[in-house]
Amino acid sequence: MGCSGSVPARSSGQSGGLNNLENAGSSDAKNLRVKLVLLGDSGVGKSCIVLRFVRGQFDPTSKVTVGASFLSQTIALQDSTTVKFEIWDTAGQERYAALAPLYYRGAAVAVVVYDITSPDSFNKAQYWVKELQKHGSPDIVMALVGNKADLHEKREVPAQDGIEYAEKNGMFFIETSAKTADNINQLFEEIAKRLPRPSPSS
Amino acid sequence: MSRNRFNFLHNSELELRRDAYGFALRPQHIQGYREYAGIYKEEEEERTQKWKNFLENQELAQLRSTKEKYKETLQANSTEFEEETVRDKNSEGNKAEASELKRTTFSEKGSEGNEAEASELKDETVSVSGSQVDEAQDTRWKADLSERSGRSNVPEGTRETVPERGREGEKAEVTELKEETLSERGKKGDDSSRKSDSDGSKELSPQKEQLSEETKTEKVQPWAQIRPSLGTIEHMMNFRVKKRKVMKGEQITKSGDHLPSIDEARSSGGESDEDIKEKVCVTVTSYGSVNGLDDKGSQEDEVSPEPYFPWKEELESLVHGGVPKDLRGELWQAFVGVKARRTERYYQDLLAQEINADESKEHDNSFGVPRKWKKQIEKDIPRTFPAHPALNEDGRDSLRRLLLAYALHNPSVGYCQAMNFFAGLLLLLMPEENAFWTFVGIIDDYFDGYYTEEMIEAQVDQLVFEELIRERFPKLVHHLDYLGVQVTWISGPWFLSIFVNILPWESVLRVWDVLLYEGNRVMLFRTALALMELYGPALVTTKDAGDAITLLQSLAGSTFDSSQLVFTACMGYLTVTEARLQELREKHRPAVLLVVEERSKGGRVWKDPNGLATKLYSFKHDPELLIEENKGTEGSDDALADGDLSYKEPAANLDNMLSGLSVNSELEGRDLQEQVVWLKVELCSLLEEKRSAVLRAEELETALMEMVKQDNRRQLSARIEQLEQEVAELQQSLADKREQESAMIQVLMKVEQEQRITEDARRNAEQDARAQRYAVNVLEEKYEKAMASVAQMEKRAVMAESMLEATLQYESGQAKAVSSPRAVHNQSSVDSPKRRIGLFGLAWRDRNKGKPSNLEGSSDRKSTN
Ligand SMILES: Nc1nc2c(ncn2[C@@H]2O[C@H](COP(=O)(O)OP(=O)(O)O)[C@@H](O)[C@H]2O)c(=O)[nH]1
Ligand SMILES: [Mg+2]
Repeated sequence: MGCSGSVPARSSGQSGGLNNLENAGSSDAKNLRVKLVLLGDSGVGKSCIVLRFVRGQFDPTSKVTVGASFLSQTIALQDSTTVKFEIWDTAGQERYAALAPLYYRGAAVAVVVYDITSPDSFNKAQYWVKELQKHGSPDIVMALVGNKADLHEKREVPAQDGIEYAEKNGMFFIETSAKTADNINQLFEEIAKRLPRPSPSS
Repeated sequence: MSRNRFNFLHNSELELRRDAYGFALRPQHIQGYREYAGIYKEEEEERTQKWKNFLENQELAQLRSTKEKYKETLQANSTEFEEETVRDKNSEGNKAEASELKRTTFSEKGSEGNEAEASELKDETVSVSGSQVDEAQDTRWKADLSERSGRSNVPEGTRETVPERGREGEKAEVTELKEETLSERGKKGDDSSRKSDSDGSKELSPQKEQLSEETKTEKVQPWAQIRPSLGTIEHMMNFRVKKRKVMKGEQITKSGDHLPSIDEARSSGGESDEDIKEKVCVTVTSYGSVNGLDDKGSQEDEVSPEPYFPWKEELESLVHGGVPKDLRGELWQAFVGVKARRTERYYQDLLAQEINADESKEHDNSFGVPRKWKKQIEKDIPRTFPAHPALNEDGRDSLRRLLLAYALHNPSVGYCQAMNFFAGLLLLLMPEENAFWTFVGIIDDYFDGYYTEEMIEAQVDQLVFEELIRERFPKLVHHLDYLGVQVTWISGPWFLSIFVNILPWESVLRVWDVLLYEGNRVMLFRTALALMELYGPALVTTKDAGDAITLLQSLAGSTFDSSQLVFTACMGYLTVTEARLQELREKHRPAVLLVVEERSKGGRVWKDPNGLATKLYSFKHDPELLIEENKGTEGSDDALADGDLSYKEPAANLDNMLSGLSVNSELEGRDLQEQVVWLKVELCSLLEEKRSAVLRAEELETALMEMVKQDNRRQLSARIEQLEQEVAELQQSLADKREQESAMIQVLMKVEQEQRITEDARRNAEQDARAQRYAVNVLEEKYEKAMASVAQMEKRAVMAESMLEATLQYESGQAKAVSSPRAVHNQSSVDSPKRRIGLFGLAWRDRNKGKPSNLEGSSDRKSTN
């Protein structure tokens, strides 16, 4: 699957090559810059995750995302490297999928989010994973996120399902809650650890 | 403070975090907003005055030109409403005269503008007098409005809003409604008088009022006529609507979805409720749409040369300057031409249909709104202007109804995120049904093909914008390319949200004023270009993609100077016209269609050289390549033809079907022919009267255009000069910096070299020192050894001395004892070495005598211990 996906992905990777080049080019081994895109069904909490991560807030009355919105945040790792995440939060409605390639092309990281209380959203997440495997950069780092973990009494997607699906597709898996901030920072730290480092130059 | 005028904002804490429209301010923008609040207030006062003058002049002109014609009607009207308005006159006192004048004006307009009447006439049971009462009341209301002196007249206000809201047709109904609303609004007193309050505050609060009062009782706000003083503007805009509909009806558009046609609409005019219902079903299944259109309108379009409106230019400049708050809701309706779009009861029928479908639980069948849209709407309602004071539970009910009704009305769009914000905004400005028709106009017409399942036109517009921005700001784009930023990442959301949540509200509304007035998406492009112009210089200083995007987002979000924005947009980009845009759209559409088609086939979209992504990419890297690609696409048109056909054919079929329908409906509508003919005759005579004015105005127009052009040219060249100067300055400073840099580098290198030398020297010195230290050590050792041997020598010397002494003493003793000292002397001289040794040995033993005992003693001590 990796193989069939890589052909078109490479050509698209080339279109986004400038970004990659730029991303890698200006970041040295100690200071990485990464384009990250959030995908997933509408209402799973993508915008809330980003806002929690970037601003440390949770606004239960968040706004509908139209098209996409951008935020960036820098974190420091223990090995004293910094990672600047350039985050594109996309609109969730199905028809906006037509515009999604604009945002995930050239992205080094894709975070696919579902809502643990909604099996529909889990299906949607799988759709996005397939889409990324087909059209994303071949070396994209993917994370599968089950959000709204605070609503465990309403859980409909067992964690095990997420774990298994992620494993099968070579993804990193985590359950988060934007509401309680659970695992939000961990999500991004884990991603940062998994990033391919540019070879250290003098 | 301007915000104090809004009664729902009496809470000062709220006030701190919300703008004059009740929208939440982002914390980082509160300061900026405060700075501009005063300016907004001044601007608002100024434009209120300007619009007032404009509307008054218009009415006077109308009065003069048409007075004679409708004297009879006028008289009839007058007698009727004389009774109705007595109370008003009494309470208003000094306004009586003005009211008189306005009233006169209105009744003329009522019959001249004739849209209103036509809709009345169409209604089966409507009586002439009924409609006239309405008009009279409208007039009275308007008269009061334009007086805007006594603001404390609560009862008047209450009464005056009634006819507006109750204009459903029959007189009885009107009265009923009047009573209802009266009692409802009576309670609210001050709030409800806002409709008549031109001082800039009426929209939101009465809206809120209406939302809360009427949805509670499961009642949808009735259709409300816009104030008659705006009738002429409405009239002009209605022409546009009709013209466009005619055009669309004849034309087969490529996108193929949703073709509102005049014929369709015409057919709805004379139909009974049941017919309409049937028709709605047809609409749902046939992918068409029913656009409301008054009979009058559809007949009129046959005489369709758009009449010349001499005040159009003036109106345009007024619109550029902004629409007063209290006129905005109604002017927007006029601009969109809701009256020409509306079909009586259509909205109510859609709602009824939806409720029925809901009850019968057949969501996914052709009845009712498909479940996926319903679910999405439910998700999005609480996320639409969250916590806006007017979007309480009732407000959200209105929002839900409007969106569901629209989804039924136009299934090719259904529901698309972003529409929730537009509907919400409109509901804040006007009654529900009016908001619905305005919404229909915007989505079906202005943004045709934008929010459909494939979002084709939205994608096309992005390609068009990309081309424009490359053409206008090559350096900025070059910088963004360098950073790896695609302009469309940012402009996409701008266009799709029509700047809602992107710009501060004052600016959003000002942009919408112009956009709705112009009747197309030109203002979208111009505003986006203006933003790039305003913020481009800051953008080119950014050093990475993230910073560039963040900066542009935050700058756009703090565009409080809405006048500057609108002015820059409208004056700076005059060459960005609808015609130009259409041309560019035609050019880029095939690429988008191809990608969409590929996508739907599940093919590998991005591999295709004509794909959207590749296209954007090639834009970046080689504009010429793009041209070639276009040629390529043209070449592959044959290949495309299949795909195109699939779009075209249903459209053509639909159209044929609809034109067939229209013929039928014309026959059906024959009983209205008389009215229509009469109105047509009136219109013709009006047109004739205007012809002379047209000639005069044309001269004026050309003169004005010339002036405007020169003005623009001057402005543009000035700006270009300025920009060039800036660029030169920047280049200069860049060169300077470079020089400085190289000088610094040289200095650095020298310093480094020197450092290296001293370092070497230091190292050598250190080595030397180390060697010397070693030598010193060696010498010290030698010295110590020497000293030790010296000490030994000294000891020996001492010993030798004492031996010598002893020897001397012994010899002197011997000499005394021997008689012949000579013989002894000889003997002793022979033996002497031995003795010396013996003596020496003795002496040695003696000297060490104490030591062994000492040793013994110590060893004893040791043993005893
Ligand atoms: N309980 C709970 N609700 C959440 C969480 N994250 C988001 N939400 C809610 O889910 C809704 C949708 O969130 P949003 O971020 O707008 O979804 P998006 O469409 O994916 O961007 C909002 O009303 C949030 O209040 C979470 O972790 N826990
Ligand atoms: Mg979102």
